Amino acid sequence: MKKLAAILMALMLVLSLCACSGGTTDTTTTESTTETETTEATTETTEIPDISLTLWGSELTDFQDAFRVMCDNFIEAYADEANITIEIGAQSEATAKDTVLTDISAAADVFYYADDQNVELVAAGALQPVESADAITEANGGSDAGAIQAATVNGTLYGYPAMGGNGYFLYYDKAYVTDEQAGSWAGLLEAANAAGKEVTMQLNNGWYLHGFFKGAGYACSLADDAATTTCDWNTAGGTDVAQAILDIAADPGFINLDDAAFVTGVQEGTVIAGINGSWNAGAVQEAWGDDYACAKLPTYTLNGEEVQMGSFDGYKLVGVNAYSENVGWAMRLAEWLTNEDNQIYLYEATSGSAVPSNVNAAASESVQANPVVAALATQSQYASAQSLSVGGNYWTPTETLGNILANGNPDGTDLQQLLDETVAGVTAAVG
Amino acid sequence: MKKRKHDGIRGFLPVRAAKSWLAGDAFVKLTPLLWGVGYIRRRQFVKGFLAILFEVVVVMFSISYGFPNIAKFGTLGTVRRETVYNPATMKNEVNQYDNSFLILLFGLVGLIVLAVAVIILMRIVAEARELQQKSEQGAHISTFREDIRELLNQKFHITLLSLPSLGIIVFTIIPLIFMILVAFTNYDQQHMAPTELFTWVGLDNFKRLFNNSLSETFGYSFGKVLGWTLVWAFFATFTCYFGGIALSLMINNKRTRVKKLWRTLFVICIAVPQFVSLLLVRNFFADTGIVNTFCSNVGITDFLKSIGLVGAYLDHIPFLTEAGWAKFMIILINFWIGVPYLMLIATGVLMNIPTEYYESAKIDGANALQTFNRITMPFMLSVTGPYLITSFIANINNFNVIYLLTQDVYFTMDTKLAASNAKDIDLLVTWLYRLTNDYYNYKMASVIGILVFIVCAVFTLLAFNYTFRKGREGRFQ
Repeated sequence: MKKLAAILMALMLVLSLCACSGGTTDTTTTESTTETETTEATTETTEIPDISLTLWGSELTDFQDAFRVMCDNFIEAYADEANITIEIGAQSEATAKDTVLTDISAAADVFYYADDQNVELVAAGALQPVESADAITEANGGSDAGAIQAATVNGTLYGYPAMGGNGYFLYYDKAYVTDEQAGSWAGLLEAANAAGKEVTMQLNNGWYLHGFFKGAGYACSLADDAATTTCDWNTAGGTDVAQAILDIAADPGFINLDDAAFVTGVQEGTVIAGINGSWNAGAVQEAWGDDYACAKLPTYTLNGEEVQMGSFDGYKLVGVNAYSENVGWAMRLAEWLTNEDNQIYLYEATSGSAVPSNVNAAASESVQANPVVAALATQSQYASAQSLSVGGNYWTPTETLGNILANGNPDGTDLQQLLDETVAGVTAAVG
Repeated sequence: MKKRKHDGIRGFLPVRAAKSWLAGDAFVKLTPLLWGVGYIRRRQFVKGFLAILFEVVVVMFSISYGFPNIAKFGTLGTVRRETVYNPATMKNEVNQYDNSFLILLFGLVGLIVLAVAVIILMRIVAEARELQQKSEQGAHISTFREDIRELLNQKFHITLLSLPSLGIIVFTIIPLIFMILVAFTNYDQQHMAPTELFTWVGLDNFKRLFNNSLSETFGYSFGKVLGWTLVWAFFATFTCYFGGIALSLMINNKRTRVKKLWRTLFVICIAVPQFVSLLLVRNFFADTGIVNTFCSNVGITDFLKSIGLVGAYLDHIPFLTEAGWAKFMIILINFWIGVPYLMLIATGVLMNIPTEYYESAKIDGANALQTFNRITMPFMLSVTGPYLITSFIANINNFNVIYLLTQDVYFTMDTKLAASNAKDIDLLVTWLYRLTNDYYNYKMASVIGILVFIVCAVFTLLAFNYTFRKGREGRFQ
């Protein structure tokens, strides 16, 4: 009897191990059986193929609801060609790459992603080249348009531009800051010091930090291998830019805050102006009410002259999984989701969060009236497409450089050495 | 003499199998071709059938998965994935491409299956020869029923351990060898299966740990991270250990009232999931968090500035954002989280120290410090020695505390660390996590994983060797 118990225990041990690893397999088998059942049921009545697609997009309720509506319209529009079912999953654009690359073949057929992930997704072979590239390019303002450049790698278009306005600009509170003061860092800091409040931007983030160097004419760009970054920040005069950032950071009216702390600061009334992106527009507008205003990025003082800050343009794209079973239908869905009508629909359904990238949609009245869109439009002439500028090794070294500058270079490292080391990290071979 | 024969020829299995095969009759000689033939000749039909069935399974697996992948094992594949979109079918047409990841995995499984099969075949050959001898001597040849009965009695250990052993091979050994193999390939973001191929690079990844240039800083980072990992493991283990003992001594003191209340209060800390406490504490100690607001209002921030602990430049205390402060805070917060556990363990141990020791010590005139040093601590150490070692090893791999407290908050100011995606407060294991999860640098993560294993193994061996040295266990008496 004891022996029987011992055998049973050994069995249970092994079975529990199997259960742990086998959990996911089990569910997939059940899913596929149900799918086959529905297939059989429908083929009896119609001759058209069954297509099932998965879409991943923003987890926000507004977006999810809008996706459902757009997908249902898509299903209806193609009802005579195929029997389509679309499953919608919540997957933030900001982290789409991480989930997709975990297992490409298990990822959604169609997914939204931020353009900074374009290069790495292409490198991993996750993206299907856009079939109707010419039409998509045309609709988004031609091959020189930021949205198209952001979705292109080595001359091939990989993403369907879905939303623009993913860049950054200046928010300011008109109760404390005049329009003129909002034009320069000197003015902003003057206003902040006068009111005993603070102006913010996140220096320890390469995305924002880039603005100072870009404005002074320095550049990063993606090498031909679409992975390594070239960068000239440590060439002559680069230290002056670093010094200018140090000067701003040293001002008592400046505070280095991350994205969440910026919103908290605005809500608590300690922050009267800040550089941030369109995704926080709703929260800032709510806090400042009628005094809410947006503008292009301010100028900063470099060697006694005012220099306009540059920025990164940001876009959200729709990608088609190159490993999709129904890649053709997935491309149709991606095209559908990003067409002019649906971009306007999504913009309105999300109360202005999803700024259209399509030229005609962006020109519509309701979009033009949005102060965020206006600020971004003015800033765009000083912006560069992020996906063409930087590869994977850009982020950590620049984050560190920004952190050192934000903390006033506490070790007193020679600025030239600091830039040399940063550039060495940025330009290092990937892997 | 007869008994020895029944036990079969002793010796190293391959030698035994070879000798058996050479000495055996035609059926033994045929066994490697048709595994069950030796059994069937001796009328052990079920066993023979099972052996043939096993052979068929092994051969089929090897033909369909094993050999094709083992053949490509040397290169890990040469054909890249190419797709062409066919507008007519609305599908991608894909070539017959090699998936390096699967080749590595199935190649490894194939090799292990072959190895296991060869071992089993050698046993079968030896057994076939034994059966031949038995039948020649006219000895009894066991029936299948008798074999089963034997497995439940004399050979019960085999019955009991075969399934768990299989489990260990499938779920532990194979993944472990796979991970180790990855360290010798160039599997990283530029070589991600299934789209790209990766291949063997020998010891290149290990060499990178000893390179040190401006853009190649893995060696520098590894040294720094390893140093902090050991410092952290030391402090995290011993602060909690002595803190827990001190706390339980205080609670168990005769003069302490409502002992149960105090004990319960500390145990409540355990009831809150650790990650919740850690994330909350992270927010408390943020640069604009509640603790900083308080310190700044009360004047602590200014005081710390005046004595130079906080840079003159800052208007907050960089609890979790400056290397020195963050390291101190991490150890402190870990102390707060870990002490209740140690308090419980220490209470249990202390209650088991016979009171006679203390009474006789009292009669001999020993003071409190002397009793603690000569009775309490030796007793504690002898009982909790193994716990201390395991807890030191666990702290080397203590992912939660470091990651949850500093993720998204801590930015390094060391440009060389940044170039290899490490941070001052990273343990080897959090660095490894970042390399795989954010940068897909599987090859370097694998190298670091192997080194973590070596570090842990060395410390465990040293510590256990010291603790369990002969005669040490009873020493305190």
